[in-house]
Amino acid sequence: MIENFLAGTAALFGDPITILIFVFGVIGGMLFGAIPGVSMLTLAAILLPFSAGLEPAQGVMLFAVIYCTGTYGGAITAILFNIPGAPENAPTAFDGYPMTKQGRAGKAVGAAVLCSAIGGTASALLMMAATEPLAQWAIRNIGPPEIFALVFFGLAVASSVGGNTIWKGWMSVLLGLLVATVGQDPVGGINRYNFGMTDLAAGIAFVPAILGFFAVSEIFIQAEKRAFGKYNAPKLDVNFPTFLELWRYKIAVVRSILVGFFCGILPGIGATLAAFMGYGEAVRWSKDKESFGKGNLEGVISSETANNAATGAAMIPLLALGLPGGALTAIMVAVFQFHDMEPGPLVFYNSPELIWVVFAAMFYANVSILFIGLIETKTILQLLRIPFHFLAPMILMLASIGSYIGRGLVLDVMVMFLAGMIGFLLRRSGYSIPGIVLGIILGKIGEQNFAQGMQMVHYDLITYLSRPICLILIVAGAITLGTGVYKALASNRTSADQE
Amino acid sequence: MGKLNTSHLIEAVAWVAIAALFFIYSFEFNQKIEIYKFGATAWPRSILLMLMLVIAGNLFYQRANGSTPQPGRVGISEDDLDDAEKPLSSYLNIGSFLFLPLIFAWSLKPVGFYAATPVFTALVIVLLGERRPRWIIGITLFIYAIIIGLFMIVLNAPLPQGTVSPFYDFSAFMLRMNNQLQNMF
Repeated sequence: MIENFLAGTAALFGDPITILIFVFGVIGGMLFGAIPGVSMLTLAAILLPFSAGLEPAQGVMLFAVIYCTGTYGGAITAILFNIPGAPENAPTAFDGYPMTKQGRAGKAVGAAVLCSAIGGTASALLMMAATEPLAQWAIRNIGPPEIFALVFFGLAVASSVGGNTIWKGWMSVLLGLLVATVGQDPVGGINRYNFGMTDLAAGIAFVPAILGFFAVSEIFIQAEKRAFGKYNAPKLDVNFPTFLELWRYKIAVVRSILVGFFCGILPGIGATLAAFMGYGEAVRWSKDKESFGKGNLEGVISSETANNAATGAAMIPLLALGLPGGALTAIMVAVFQFHDMEPGPLVFYNSPELIWVVFAAMFYANVSILFIGLIETKTILQLLRIPFHFLAPMILMLASIGSYIGRGLVLDVMVMFLAGMIGFLLRRSGYSIPGIVLGIILGKIGEQNFAQGMQMVHYDLITYLSRPICLILIVAGAITLGTGVYKALASNRTSADQE
Repeated sequence: MGKLNTSHLIEAVAWVAIAALFFIYSFEFNQKIEIYKFGATAWPRSILLMLMLVIAGNLFYQRANGSTPQPGRVGISEDDLDDAEKPLSSYLNIGSFLFLPLIFAWSLKPVGFYAATPVFTALVIVLLGERRPRWIIGITLFIYAIIIGLFMIVLNAPLPQGTVSPFYDFSAFMLRMNNQLQNMF
């Protein structure tokens, strides 16, 4: 492994063009992740046509680097503006934004930089050491029933955070799942809920939905506060956490690396669920559960470590099985196809140099987050000085472009603004925006894997649940769901007793 | 009725209406799939069934607790819970701010991005309370320059050009300028 890694490093830094592409990917991913309104996906969508002119290793490496640094960059907007750069940064905003309001933005961003670097580097090392055995394990043990079970567990976790009650948490998730049913059904290709609009046959793209629910609704909320004279500008602070402060959270970091890596390995799941589960586990094991959502540094640490730990792991199903784990890894499949290649087990034998250049680049990209990230962060924090009424139109324009670029449809811009309006109304009523977004992202994956799983077991639920990983995840999801419902019913009884 | 109020009931009716709309529309694609016994409607209808159960649970909760958040919930924003009375002008302001982006999105096809952007940007700045003309024009031009510089000149991103003259002609002019600029390098 070390020999291959050194060979990959030599190939990466031995060619000036490859170095330039690497540096462009690192800085571009960080910047697009950290600019509110656009994301690493916007950059990736714009760069995709240009990648046809690159060498295969350069093309795949560029997107892998953008994935690593963009996942970190999205944390900055989540913390500073309550606008996650990508869905995987949504749980970061739960505690990161309250910290900004308390004048502790520097601590939150500093922790995000360090933990993203640690999570990503650990994941890159694990990926290098274990891609082939893990891929083989995944082939043997992970099938559609397990993926559906993990989706169910993830949605149960998502419903337990964000909404005012477990009911509103679930209503948010179910709304997301309902939105995900728009477009062709994943089994028979039958058009559903397109309301006579041909553009809707392809479904609701999740980038406009995410931008609408997160970025646009946040602008509306802040605009409302300005209109009602309740707007408080976030406080600028560039004091990063000390090493000793972060050392207290070592167990949370290790736990989140494991959670993130496990979620990342599973095809179709990716970093979003990893971040939610990392955050959910932090809450579950904490002795101070009440402080989460109110500016607990552990919330930022858990979410950011887990989502970056999933970046390396997400390359395992992509490279070993040819299955993308999320939107950006799906774009990487297109890069392979531009060069008449298919990701899958044969890549390891036909193009080992490509694999090791990508592995080395991801490792160094994660390490560079620590150094470039800290410098960049000091600059980005100055964004807080820009008055809101000048920043808001910029964010809205960038978000419009970000949602249009993906498919070239004006409909997507409309969807984004509609999602923003709906998100604005739902947030005011105590619903969970991350829950809706996770429902949209996981809806199609869940349905497809449920259908395939049922076909596999000939519609026999006993056989379905006799698969151990599947059973464990479904029971864990049911316990999470049951606990939430029990607590809601208990609070009903308490209220009745008080009366 | 317990602690249920009118807004809780309106909220529940809105959710039931959404569920009913989606259920009625599901008959439009109620077809069998050869390879899948449950067909195309099973998944959305299961979601709708669960949604109805959860709506009932929510109403039951609100009857006992009103709008009070459930104890121990994580990630609730304190900003979301403010329902105090506000002046009418503020509602008109926020109402215009909510609908302006939809008008912008609708105008993208006929007017195009290049012509619609400065107008939309300036209106947003005005609606957010800026009244100094120099600042409005200056910031609008600054944002326009950044967006055109980054997406048109550096990244060559394809943006809507519009279909109606003279907006289409303006977009064509911008793209010609960009081509000439690119050819210089």
